[in-house]
Amino acid sequence: MSNLIGVVNYGVAGNIHSIKKTIEKAGGESIVINKPDQFNNVDKIILPGVGSFKGAMQELKNDGFLEQLGKNKKPILGICLGMQILSTVGFEYGKTKGLNFIQAEVRPILVDAKVPHVGFNTIDIVSENELLNGLEDEEFYFMHSFEVVNYTNILSLTEYEGHKFVSSVQKDNIYGVQFHPEKSRDSGIKLFKNFINIKR
Amino acid sequence: MTVRIIAKLDVKPPFVVKPVHFEGLRKVGTPPELAKKYYVQGADEVVYIDIVSSLYQRDIVFDEIEKTANKLYIPFGVGGAVRSVKDFSKLFHMGADKVIINTFAVQEDSSIINKSAEIFGGQAVVVNIEAKKNGDSWECYTDCGRVQSGRDVLEWAQDVEKRGAGEILLQSVDKDGRKNGFDLELCKKVVASVNIPVVVASGAGKVEDIREVIEYADPSGVAIASLLHYDNIAISEIKEYLRSSGIKVSR
Repeated sequence: MSNLIGVVNYGVAGNIHSIKKTIEKAGGESIVINKPDQFNNVDKIILPGVGSFKGAMQELKNDGFLEQLGKNKKPILGICLGMQILSTVGFEYGKTKGLNFIQAEVRPILVDAKVPHVGFNTIDIVSENELLNGLEDEEFYFMHSFEVVNYTNILSLTEYEGHKFVSSVQKDNIYGVQFHPEKSRDSGIKLFKNFINIKR
Repeated sequence: MTVRIIAKLDVKPPFVVKPVHFEGLRKVGTPPELAKKYYVQGADEVVYIDIVSSLYQRDIVFDEIEKTANKLYIPFGVGGAVRSVKDFSKLFHMGADKVIINTFAVQEDSSIINKSAEIFGGQAVVVNIEAKKNGDSWECYTDCGRVQSGRDVLEWAQDVEKRGAGEILLQSVDKDGRKNGFDLELCKKVVASVNIPVVVASGAGKVEDIREVIEYADPSGVAIASLLHYDNIAISEIKEYLRSSGIKVSR
């Protein structure tokens, strides 16, 4: 069975380069998805994200990706902003509708500490799942100012200066991680291995 | 939260050089080989600063940056001669996760911080502040400590936060490359004056210096150059020492 991962290229900037490289390191194969019809050629999808919630949704729309994502049944992994836009609505640069795969809101991280939250932090797995299998207490790299507020699809929580926030989510074929596996040394490579091994 | 231990590469393409007091350069290796070495040792990030292109008004040398990015599975910050939103974009495509800006934002157009933060997200926009002590305060310098700006460091730090920068890289013109400890007051004041993370650099000559600045100023990260390049102290050893002193660092 083929197991090709498509990394969606949208917007002006992207950490696509490092995501592709880390998939390879994890033993997987990937292509960059530049056009909507390329969704048909892949088995799984990674939705990266750099920039703002509003900008990202606008770019997905402009590039024609929204429709494809809407009818998609393949496993998707959203990373950082890519996880945030899986939510119903976001409040970065005004109120913007998200992909609404996960019922959640994206709001400024509610913490009395330096923001953005940047650096290596651990995850506390609250729901057994394939994506985070074997990764309890591993350290991942975070770099974000907003958090996903959700109560029903939580895979893990992370604590930053006394504040616990949702660091990963899942609903059916939809996965999201607030941290950057592609910047998290061996822990991130292991997570990508898990994603590669998820059966469709 | 863990304090980030960051390896800083001062680059005169195609070599990593060690500026002593921002003057006099000595070659210590190439960016890709040193980046890989420090990644394997446990660096939390690698920072690459082209220290000559801004001064000589040259364009950014992209080749070395891409080669270096390819060696890393941790965040990679890149700066030096960044003059436009297009430069930001190009550096992200080369594999940078953060772009570091100083001279252009200070001397020409500070709004480049606002523009780039809105497009790429504030977390990816780092402002490098080169501070030099002047009486009771500190003044911002540019072009690797050569050019005075007249701007007050604390005011500028707050200004860049308002403009949307996600992080400050704080260097000291007085302490850089001297290996006799950090400018502790400078570090403490800048950390306390903003709500964004501050990474302090300039002055680590021994592991105790790093502990001292973390305990005194509470920075989000410490960037280290000479200590790694010349003294063969591995990042793993630095982290081990900090951990044994009760400071939280990543594994």
